[in-house]
Amino acid sequence: MNKLMDLTIIEINNKLKNKEIKPIDLVLEVFDNIEKNKELNCFISLNKEEAIIKARQLEHVEVDNILFALPIVIKDNIITANLRTTAASKILDNFIPIYDAAVIKKIKAKNMIIIGKANMDEFAMGSSNQTSYYGSVLNPWNKKLVSGGSSGGSAVAISARIAPLALGTDTGGSIRQPSAFTGIVGLKPTYGRVSRYGLIAFASSLDHIGPMTRNVFENALLLNVISGHDVNDATSSNKECEDFTRLIGHDISNFKIAIPNYYMSTIIDEEIRGKMLNVIKIIENKGGTIVYVDIDYIDYSVPLYQIIALGEASSNLARFDGIRYGYQAKQYISIDEMYEKTRSEGFGEEVKRRLMIGAYVLSGENANHYYNKALKIRNAMKKSFDSIFENYDLIIGPTTTSVAYELSSEYNDELKSFFDDILTIPSNMSGNPTISMPIGFNKNNLPIGMQITANYFEEAKIYQLASLIESELNLELNPNKKEV
Amino acid sequence: MVELEPVIGIEIHVELNTKSKVFSSSENGYGFRPNTKINVIDLGYPGTLPTVNKEVINAGIKIAHILNCQINKLMHFDRKNYFYPDNSKNYQITQSRTPIGYNGYIDINVDNNIKRIGISRVHIEEDTAKSMHLNTKTLLDFNRAGIPLIEIVTKPDISNAKEAMIYIETLRRLLLYIDVSDVKMEEGSMRCDVNISLKPNNSNVLGTKVEVKNIGSISNVGQSINYEIARQKELILNNIIIKEETRRFDEKNNATILMRLKEKGNDYRYFPEPDIPLIELDDNWIKDIINTIPRLPSDRYSNYIKLGINEVVANKLIQNKELCDFFEELLSLEINYITAANILTTDVAGYLNKNNINIRKTRLEANNFGRMIDLLDKNEISSKMAKELLNEIIDKGMNIEELIKFSNKKIINDKDEIISIINTVLNNNKESIVAYKSGKDNVLKHLMGEVMKITKGQINPILANELLLKQLNSFEY
Repeated sequence: MNKLMDLTIIEINNKLKNKEIKPIDLVLEVFDNIEKNKELNCFISLNKEEAIIKARQLEHVEVDNILFALPIVIKDNIITANLRTTAASKILDNFIPIYDAAVIKKIKAKNMIIIGKANMDEFAMGSSNQTSYYGSVLNPWNKKLVSGGSSGGSAVAISARIAPLALGTDTGGSIRQPSAFTGIVGLKPTYGRVSRYGLIAFASSLDHIGPMTRNVFENALLLNVISGHDVNDATSSNKECEDFTRLIGHDISNFKIAIPNYYMSTIIDEEIRGKMLNVIKIIENKGGTIVYVDIDYIDYSVPLYQIIALGEASSNLARFDGIRYGYQAKQYISIDEMYEKTRSEGFGEEVKRRLMIGAYVLSGENANHYYNKALKIRNAMKKSFDSIFENYDLIIGPTTTSVAYELSSEYNDELKSFFDDILTIPSNMSGNPTISMPIGFNKNNLPIGMQITANYFEEAKIYQLASLIESELNLELNPNKKEV
Repeated sequence: MVELEPVIGIEIHVELNTKSKVFSSSENGYGFRPNTKINVIDLGYPGTLPTVNKEVINAGIKIAHILNCQINKLMHFDRKNYFYPDNSKNYQITQSRTPIGYNGYIDINVDNNIKRIGISRVHIEEDTAKSMHLNTKTLLDFNRAGIPLIEIVTKPDISNAKEAMIYIETLRRLLLYIDVSDVKMEEGSMRCDVNISLKPNNSNVLGTKVEVKNIGSISNVGQSINYEIARQKELILNNIIIKEETRRFDEKNNATILMRLKEKGNDYRYFPEPDIPLIELDDNWIKDIINTIPRLPSDRYSNYIKLGINEVVANKLIQNKELCDFFEELLSLEINYITAANILTTDVAGYLNKNNINIRKTRLEANNFGRMIDLLDKNEISSKMAKELLNEIIDKGMNIEELIKFSNKKIINDKDEIISIINTVLNNNKESIVAYKSGKDNVLKHLMGEVMKITKGQINPILANELLLKQLNSFEY
């Protein structure tokens, strides 16, 4: 018999409505899956007791929406009341929040069931999930390989079919890159589409929360739930709510699609380029037009990211000082020593390195040399994106330059970790919505991902194209089923 | 010999009296139990974000306007990064590059000469928590964290202690008038830092400045300036180089005391606050707020003088904002303003002082008070009666006409009634009539006294006197 977690959300929803299954069946299977996949290490904290209680309560509640009673995994940098939230850092190892993030409130309002907090890179700083205080996450397609990051735990929970839905966060590619590495669908929405209230900030102007799912349609369903204006987030947009599934299945023959030359250059692995060419063929067969273009400054995205993201991070993470919450050093004789020891002992190496770079780029004259200049280039890049969208519906390109690579104790290759994000950073800089979706496998049976970027607030158009490509490719994306 | 000339600039922090804090919905208040007016935002909890209280922006517009500042129509907030336990996020949200107001001035009156003090900037920021040091421990009260502050910085245009004190007093009064703060220095809702340096009077090069921080009263501002001027002069005359330093004023010793030397290159790593988008103040918004600003004290003063109120009374009025606002209300009534101003600044002020109460907390109401002034002015009540009635209407808020009826205190103005009273008196004092006829003028006083006695003083004295004379002269003995 098929496992429930192998069914589509619509199928599960029908079974719930027909009373063929109860919410508790879903929850128990998820925790069984978690147990069986322990070595993947995709969770930091589980919410088992609460989830079971919730499932029992829901037996007496009418199935009133498509995501009713569905288990969801939450990345551990999203604040959950009464459920430990660590951001994968020792400094928050004992932190039990007293409030819910805006997205958590929305999820609870739909009677979805939170099953646990997903492993991630510490404070979302990393792209291989190896900076977590709680250890690396393994890739279900090959357990010797990284899951990608920073939302590695969320990606693997979906990829391994442990649970159907997850939330991730994306500051430079942290939803899309692990989605590509694990063969799932992950969307970074438009900046402002989803409230950041309750997201432990890494880089405020680049941080996004987004849905991570097994397929395109279910991704749109989850975005329906978490998007919308929030008075608690001044950067949240007051765009009207919409149904992001509404264009799925619509014809794309009038689509004009741009591919930045940079995204098909030799920095990209040849097999990945090959799969991209395959997708281009599909689009052209469906009547869409493909044009190669140039976008200003996208090749500067890594240094831009280092300056802006790390500058903001050095300020955002200053609050972890041992005074009001979190880890505090045991012995100190002055307040300065308390700060120093708490932060030296509480933060991991990658985080400390990034905070120091961030403080450096904002210091004195450096602010002019680096930070202010970076903001100008960012603005110019944004304008270049805007001008592309005056003429094109969507931009496509590979999500990553390579497939998932080997786990290693040598992850302290600081440049490597930034260059992993070279193709994903631009849409964090511009704020445009971008999805990553699987478009095939390399010769070693490792997933390959493609990005689709749209103009601001045109996520529905992304889903329209993504869904078409998904159904044309018709890939088997369950690592448990696929024969190696 | 070259004279040394003081150059003084003042930074003032004012806590605004908005209902809630500047970036959170916590209550903004003073004197509550520690850590009861706080939320996760004030505590800098992970994941929290600031939202801007529009009332704070409005207060900023008002202050910038009354200080004749330019207003930054496209402004943002900045983060000032530094570690300190009272600073919950370890950055303070403030305005560095785009202060809401800049390049303004304020005119102060120094011995009847107007001196213009330049205002370099007015900006919005959040207050920190309050630290209390107990032996080896420090306690933190976050009630104050996030209370809105406006910082007002002058140009170095102040020349001496007197000007500094008048500047602060003038600013204080203005802020009180526009009702943005209770500006109490003793409660910390107005805090004052003074920068003082000396330079040769023939030079344009400023000397090294010393900052005296957090001075607790206006008179202490004066004292610390005088102390610093003397101290710095002495150092300069002895060829000792003045270092840039922060001092505090010690009340016991009447002296400023070194707190710390200023570190060079203090680096706050300012950058634009990414959690708050640019704020656009359009002309209509600014205009709407400016329209709510009440008439300012200097305008009121000149208006009162125009109305014929003398300078002493006019000054007394504008020095008491609540009393003055009450008087402004009276100006919409058609009454004798001079009488009203006099009664307000004497009898009413006396009552308020004696009971240590603010006029708004009494039951005195402008219309009622105005009608009393009118009755007094038309001699329908005497000033002695007015004084008695006043206590009643302040205390009980009783309607003046009813009160007069109830207490039978109305003055007798009716001619026939007065004549009949006079006749009664004359009948009982026939010998006085004879005395009067024989030229004894002091009898008149005695007879008036009798009239007053019978009526308990509630008679129009001028009319009574006039009619008494007429009656006396009509007797043909």
